[in-house]
Amino acid sequence: MMKNSRLANIGFQLAALVLALLFTTLILVATGAPPLEAYKNIILGSVSSLDKISNVLVTWVPLLLASAGLLITFSAGLWNIGMEGQITLGAIGTTWALRLMQDSSLPPALVIVLSILAGMVMGALWASLAGALKTFGGVNEIFGGLGLNFVATALTLWLIFGPWKRPGVGSMSGTEPFPEALWLPMFPDSRLSPWALVLAVVAIVIVYFMLQGTYFGLRLKAVGKNFRAAYMLGIPTWQYMMISFMLCGALAGAAGAVQVTAVYHRLIPSISSGYGYLGLLVAMLVNYQAAWAAPVALFFAALNIGSIQLPIILKLDSSLSGVLQGMLVLFVLMVEGVRQRLMRRS
Amino acid sequence: MKVELHSIHKHFGKVHANDDITLNIPAGTIQGILGENGAGKSTLMKVLSGFIQADSGDILLDGKPIIIHSPADAIKHGIGMLHQDPLDFPPMRIVDNFILGAEGGLFPNRAVVVRDFKLLAEQYGFSIDPDSYVDALTVGERQQLEILRLLWLGARVLILDEPTTGISSSQKVKLFATLRKLAAEGKTMIFVSHKLEDVEALCHQAVVLRQGKLIGEMQKPFDPKKLVAMMFGKEISLGARQVAKPGEAILSLQHVSLEDVRLKIKDVSLEVHAGEVIGLAGMEGSGQGPFLRACAGLMRPVGGHVLLKGQDLTGKPYHAYKHHGVEFLPASRLEEGLVPGLTLTEHFILAEEPKGMFIDREYGRKLAEERIKSFNIKGTPVSTVESLSGGNQQRALLSLLNDPLSLVLIEHPTRGLDIESVIYIWSKLKDRCRQGAAILFISSDLEEVLQYSDRVLVFFSGKVSEPLDAAQTSVEQLGQLIGGRGWPEKQAV
Amino acid sequence: MNRHTVLKVLGLLMIFMVVLSACGTPTAAPVEPPAATEPAANEPAATEPAATEPAVTEPAAEQFVFGMLLVGPYNDHGYSQAHYEGGLYVEKMAGFKMIYIDKVNPADRPGTTPAQLGEELVAQGAKLVIFNSDDMKDSSTEFAKAHPEIQVIMASGDQVWADGKVKEDIPNMVNIMGRMEYGKMMAGCAAALTTKTGQIGYLGPLINDETRRLASSAYLGAKYCWTEYLGKDAADLKFKVTWIGFWFNIPGVTSDPTQVADEFINSGYDVIISGIDTTEGLTEAKKFAAEGKEVFAVPYDFIGSCEEGKEVCLGVPYFNWGPAYLKTISTAADGTYASNFQWNGPDWADINNVDTSSVGFIKGNALSAEASASLDEFIAALAGGLNLWTGPINLQDGTVYLADGIVATDQEIWYLPQLLEGMEGQSVQP
Repeated sequence: MMKNSRLANIGFQLAALVLALLFTTLILVATGAPPLEAYKNIILGSVSSLDKISNVLVTWVPLLLASAGLLITFSAGLWNIGMEGQITLGAIGTTWALRLMQDSSLPPALVIVLSILAGMVMGALWASLAGALKTFGGVNEIFGGLGLNFVATALTLWLIFGPWKRPGVGSMSGTEPFPEALWLPMFPDSRLSPWALVLAVVAIVIVYFMLQGTYFGLRLKAVGKNFRAAYMLGIPTWQYMMISFMLCGALAGAAGAVQVTAVYHRLIPSISSGYGYLGLLVAMLVNYQAAWAAPVALFFAALNIGSIQLPIILKLDSSLSGVLQGMLVLFVLMVEGVRQRLMRRS
Repeated sequence: MKVELHSIHKHFGKVHANDDITLNIPAGTIQGILGENGAGKSTLMKVLSGFIQADSGDILLDGKPIIIHSPADAIKHGIGMLHQDPLDFPPMRIVDNFILGAEGGLFPNRAVVVRDFKLLAEQYGFSIDPDSYVDALTVGERQQLEILRLLWLGARVLILDEPTTGISSSQKVKLFATLRKLAAEGKTMIFVSHKLEDVEALCHQAVVLRQGKLIGEMQKPFDPKKLVAMMFGKEISLGARQVAKPGEAILSLQHVSLEDVRLKIKDVSLEVHAGEVIGLAGMEGSGQGPFLRACAGLMRPVGGHVLLKGQDLTGKPYHAYKHHGVEFLPASRLEEGLVPGLTLTEHFILAEEPKGMFIDREYGRKLAEERIKSFNIKGTPVSTVESLSGGNQQRALLSLLNDPLSLVLIEHPTRGLDIESVIYIWSKLKDRCRQGAAILFISSDLEEVLQYSDRVLVFFSGKVSEPLDAAQTSVEQLGQLIGGRGWPEKQAV
Repeated sequence: MNRHTVLKVLGLLMIFMVVLSACGTPTAAPVEPPAATEPAANEPAATEPAATEPAVTEPAAEQFVFGMLLVGPYNDHGYSQAHYEGGLYVEKMAGFKMIYIDKVNPADRPGTTPAQLGEELVAQGAKLVIFNSDDMKDSSTEFAKAHPEIQVIMASGDQVWADGKVKEDIPNMVNIMGRMEYGKMMAGCAAALTTKTGQIGYLGPLINDETRRLASSAYLGAKYCWTEYLGKDAADLKFKVTWIGFWFNIPGVTSDPTQVADEFINSGYDVIISGIDTTEGLTEAKKFAAEGKEVFAVPYDFIGSCEEGKEVCLGVPYFNWGPAYLKTISTAADGTYASNFQWNGPDWADINNVDTSSVGFIKGNALSAEASASLDEFIAALAGGLNLWTGPINLQDGTVYLADGIVATDQEIWYLPQLLEGMEGQSVQP
């Protein structure tokens, strides 16, 4: 019985994947593009060389951090749309700490660690704003989060063109890049930092065990599935919501910190790179199951990197990967709906 | 219309939910289907109304075999089912709800529908405005609406699943009158219930299901003792009243006043002692709900003090009360009491104090097995709570109570449960009393109130009576007070 | 249950947003030909075999391949399209092959840097890479240093300007910029010649040296034509800059350019000069004109911008990247490439000559014959050596920037620290 339903589940997920591919193919054909060539180029573009694989991993790290954070808020029944802003504030926090300490005599390794921590703290604080709006102000976290995202973007622009303006022309290119000593060390001849990779993997493992095996995780799930009943069972519900926001914010902050210390090495206008929204897609796809977050995020990252080849080789629009990702989530949700209806029937 | 079910079998996995059921219902009969929760009544009715298909067996209408694939199919054949929770779409007008599910045309003729509706409503003595909104209706009115809709769609066989749950007694009277009238018109009524008294009052004949099998049949007049024996495989009686000897004061209310949007309760004082059971009686919405919640810190009094074992907890949150051994069991079990989607084991773990950071799964499983056994819950440690029947959900809720307890507050402890569960649940509650806890409960079942309470508080639009001695009070007296009669001008304290 | 459905619906909405934002302009693109104004431009792309094998595998010794990184969509009817068409021009004129990646920005391509994307182009055979936007400045430096064998063009940058403030020694880099100051002067002039109220509104993006010098150039052109051709007093000319905060509208973050334009018009400003990437100034003017108001606009950046509101368009200053790209890429192809900084002006013989002029100005339908004549006179004067960046010029706060008769150096223009005296609006980011 159990095995059967698990098999059926996998079947349903596969059906969703096939439908998403089919639909994307239709779009390609409709616009006169060769679908097979396009898919081939996406795949080659993401795995055909060590360099490309490492580029995929560079994208994977912050996406996985974001997804890990969102799994926590999802478990608590919260839609943390404010993720983008929390990533941004994490980046701001890290940049701020780096700026403060870059001329000090502290060893660079310590400066980097402290800066990443500063980013996590900032992310958590920013998330707690959305949490406070929700728990004390009665503002739905979706609207609160959206508003705070705008504020975060405005803050970034203000910093880049105002107080943190670089010498010479204030530039869209961001703040003055940090010296190489303050970059997270990378693999030789690669943009991939092993430390960032470790950070992301550790984060998802912790989140996995937290949600699967701890009292905290179970109570969080209870809060998410039935707020009233959780309260009646003696769980301090709003504290749990607040904590889940802050944990998620801290992971968002870590993603922002990685963007600054390992990818861009400065603060740029769209530092969050849309990882917050992409992470929401991943979290929706894996449906609370932390174990799936890593492979799904990897798949998304590969799509993003692979699709770079599309304009170069096929003069095709590379937002195809976005279309495919969106379709995937759409069909997974739809198939899930169909599955539940069928289950109710029988 | 004559309905015949022939040798119906239905399996769910290993469970044989309907085991060779054969049943003949002549036209114009009101047929009772009795059985405790999980006996297979609902399955049988779902087979008849097309929600599920039988594994084998035949259905004959007026002697003709038919195959029913879906509820829409069933209604085409003239079979309509009235669900326990009427399936309508709250935020719409009644007339639109009516049109919905009807066949024919992209553009239904509203005027015709409204006329039909009014005609039907008049015929059966219902007064519902077709232009009002469905969500403004009471459960009883929704039921009436659903009956009208099914009749309008051409139903000649009506299946009613526990129709007397959640409606007022006057609505029940009206419902029964309507059903008799329909039967007199030659329509067939199938009345599914676990309430013996309703079946006795209404049905022409009844069958009893137990564990998927049809155990026995009986014609009017019924022998209730025999029916009970058939339902449970043994005779059951409520047992003698047990009077507890009151111990120390557990809960003291001192001049407590409460206010919510609808009513005000003024200046109530009460002392509740260990081992005591206090029943709160009154029409729904007379103030007993807020009162009970105020005793748990779930509602903040606007005046006065709430003391627990001498400690002033006024204005503290529920968790502070809980910390002092107070538990509140809500009536809406799946909304407020249990967490749908989580298993029984997970519930038991949640109710325990955390031991360290990581959950000991093995301990949780043992705990669950033990509780499931001692509370006689029909389910496994990995069953999700929403998959349990109502009675088993209530047992689960009780099994989550912690030790030691000083005060248990319960809304409708046995609403919707079969009699075996009722007796079981009260035996567990009485155990708590013997261990020194006090119990306050709300019930709309006056016999239950008198049977299990030591003292009774009656509520009438915010007024609270002096505590009545349950042993000295009759159902009639209680009924009068609930209805607002017999209240002295100044009785409310 | 209810909450669940709400969330699901919201989730779906969000996905639609993502899908739509992912394929908004772009998926429409392949259906409609990208270049409306230059029909021939699409040809090289179209005649290319659709499924070319990666260039590296073929010995393409004959054909020189250059790559281009575009910050926006290649068909954005704005900044990026202007570059893209410049690239097509090079393909056509020199027979080189262009490969490109568009939407090179972290929001559209999470986790990528322009430097990394430049490497992707190199992997496909590019020997020269163009970085087209200020966004990519740091990346272009990083890339150029990491790949000394690849030639780099950083458009709009100033890293290798010998007289620049942040001069770096990058032998394989060329900076190219058009002298849009002239285009803006013409825009200002057309505005001044047209305004009835004597009030000109300037829709500014964000505040930096570049945007300050462009707004100020527009003012200088306006003031000159207002006093010289209309004979009016400079003090009677109101010129107000309102910065929206970014190159385009970001709801909730920037001021809404539509609202800013409306405010201009409602408070008596009857010509709006746009300094932003999008055309709100033009469309709002068109809207009010339809209601009977006499208002006009000057858009920016792209040669075809007037299309959206011909009846109110006074003309558009635009970049023409083709000639400079052709020249520089040709030196890369024949091995004579050398690092240099180019700040290319119009071809004064014909400012709209596709083959020679880096900056142009196309007159719009709404420009009166009289104003048109005066504008021609103004352009001729500029061609003849008129330099409006000549003292006395005071900064907004009244300090003397250029004493009487002093001609501004390129540095003084490029790094203008404030708006000029006589202009309203913020000079620096608060």
